Amino acid sequence: MSITAETAKAHAHDPAVLCCRAEAGITIEPANLEDPAIFDDLVDSGLLSLDGCLTIEEVLGAKLTKTCDSLAPLTADVLDGVKAVSAPAEEEEVEEEAAPAAAPVAAAPVVAGGTLKIHIGEGKDIDLEIPVGALGAGGAAVAEVPAGAEAVVAGAAAPAVVEEEKVVGTLTRKHFNITEVKRGPETKIEGTTLYIREGIEADVIADQELVKDFHLEIITPELYHTYSETIMDVQPIATKEGDSELGSGVTRVLDGVVMMLTGVDEGGVQIGEFGSSEGYLDENIMWGRPGCPEKGEIFIKGNIVIQEKTNMERRGPMAAHTAFDIITQEIREVMKKLDESLVVDTQELKSIRRPGKKKVVIVKEIMGQGAMHDNFILPVEPVGILGARANVDLGNVPICVSPLEVLDGCIHALTCIGPASKEMSRHYWREPLVLEALHDPEVDLCGVVFVGSPQINAEKFYVSRRVGHTVEMMDADGAFVTTEGFGNNHIDFASHIEQIGMRGVPVVGMSYCAVQGALVVGNKYMQYMVDNNKSEAGIENEILGNNTLCPEDAVRALAMLKTAMAGEDVKAAEKKWNPNVKSTNVELIESAYGTKIDLVGNEQELPMSEKRRLKYS
Amino acid sequence: MNNERLNYGDRIIYMEGVVVDVDDCSISVDLKGRLGFFKAPKRMFICDTEPKVGQEFGWNMSFPEQLGPEINEHYVSNIEKERRKQEKMRERLDNKEV
Repeated sequence: MSITAETAKAHAHDPAVLCCRAEAGITIEPANLEDPAIFDDLVDSGLLSLDGCLTIEEVLGAKLTKTCDSLAPLTADVLDGVKAVSAPAEEEEVEEEAAPAAAPVAAAPVVAGGTLKIHIGEGKDIDLEIPVGALGAGGAAVAEVPAGAEAVVAGAAAPAVVEEEKVVGTLTRKHFNITEVKRGPETKIEGTTLYIREGIEADVIADQELVKDFHLEIITPELYHTYSETIMDVQPIATKEGDSELGSGVTRVLDGVVMMLTGVDEGGVQIGEFGSSEGYLDENIMWGRPGCPEKGEIFIKGNIVIQEKTNMERRGPMAAHTAFDIITQEIREVMKKLDESLVVDTQELKSIRRPGKKKVVIVKEIMGQGAMHDNFILPVEPVGILGARANVDLGNVPICVSPLEVLDGCIHALTCIGPASKEMSRHYWREPLVLEALHDPEVDLCGVVFVGSPQINAEKFYVSRRVGHTVEMMDADGAFVTTEGFGNNHIDFASHIEQIGMRGVPVVGMSYCAVQGALVVGNKYMQYMVDNNKSEAGIENEILGNNTLCPEDAVRALAMLKTAMAGEDVKAAEKKWNPNVKSTNVELIESAYGTKIDLVGNEQELPMSEKRRLKYS
Repeated sequence: MNNERLNYGDRIIYMEGVVVDVDDCSISVDLKGRLGFFKAPKRMFICDTEPKVGQEFGWNMSFPEQLGPEINEHYVSNIEKERRKQEKMRERLDNKEV
């Protein structure tokens, strides 16, 4: 297929190959050339050899001296009037992500004493003096000036005006430590011991018509090597203090213990999309992932039995989650009355706006295709049920929330998709990208948008257009689009990126892709991608949380978005998944920022189950 | 990568099937030509309109190849546990219905 002048310009340094037969004597135009995007496959299959091939830039306007067939690479011996190359094509190693922009701190020396002086030495020798008022809060607010900027006129320096950081919201987390969980006559907390009322199971069963049976297990670290059904969700135990609303005020949270939901239907069939992570807990959980338990924590594990054959209907998993929340809610009521003296740690999370910095937004795509592809949004209690609306019922349209609402458990995840890439409720409670962006002094995180992924393509494009307009209204300078799992949600994932990208906003996409989750579609705005894969072979390996978004991915995505917003090029990805891209980029970021990024481990550090040894090694 | 273990992985054939069941989570498909049946999560199907029983789907696939003669005892034990559990639960369910 021939290409347009625009494509020819974008691919100026790529090889020039005829798209169809051309007679001697014609002048080469873009319409005579083939799209370079398809060359990799042709070269791989031996149909095309690019030896001695000139670039598109060189051949345009040249005269063909010999009649050539389609897919003939254009070389110097068949052309007359080949142009000289304007700029040498960069032939460095190909990378998925480019080096991050140099830290702006180095570019703009700050002089204490109420004046920001920027000296631009190149050629014009312009000195800018801008009064900045209360500058000097640890040098956090430093103007960004592109290094090597030429001829900056006074007016163009406007974005460099430093404004004060604004705290738009605070959330206090009061931590209570739990070292032991026991059963007792009533639900209570004594010191660091949590007692759960005996017979609470009957309340859970009675709560929902679809719930037919329920068993509660207390899993202490000694019992980690216990057989378990598919893990549906991992949740923090937290409650709002007094009249505090979700995302503000005070939240009380129990440390050292998590809620864990598992379930089957009356016929013994797992509630869990397909396949499952059943097996021994210690062999199937990637400890310490944002959505997973930490090693050493106690699990309050409930196994729910729902009415036969409702496991594949929305009402089945919904009933299981709703009934299980009876226990969590009873613990929450007790937590509300706990004495302040039991608080072991207080953490203050601040939602900080940084006017004048690059404004960024995080768009998180969540599953919304139906049962087990659903989420409860904005409950009254952190990761609760009451007051929440399912995103499928809301039509999967974008919902804007504050970063603090995310960290306060505004998502109760009903998703029970592939274990390795699903984001459980606890993931949002500790969402690494939100935390990184919130704490990065170089960007202004304006909010988080949740958007569901419907089943039907028409609906997917309906919601992604809403995402595009939402981001446009925000006047964002950059955006992240993340998704969990893989499958047809990658269609809207690509569409969200397109809708945002076509509005001139650089977008970094984050997803598990690697081998099995390779994207089904792409578009020209998908230039900045971060792969969340951690598994050795790049596959969905049934280890809970293994391939979910971790702090190291958030750091890479932030560095990449900053690079894109600064207008620097990010190198194209390789055709096939190559884990080395990630390590190279991590090294680049480490050297640019002078920090050390600790990479998380993967399934290789878990006790090797026989199953995995045979299947994946 | 694991697909290096396949000898015929590049033999891709076009397949068609008919949707025989759709629930909130999955789609079931009968392969045309009595070639079997499969059920997969909705998220793995690409649909322009609402998926409904009787619709036809097409896709490319290859032949599943045995990766080796070894039996993974871990899987066998999981399957056995699952079977016993389902049997027990089925019994209980049947008794309840009587």
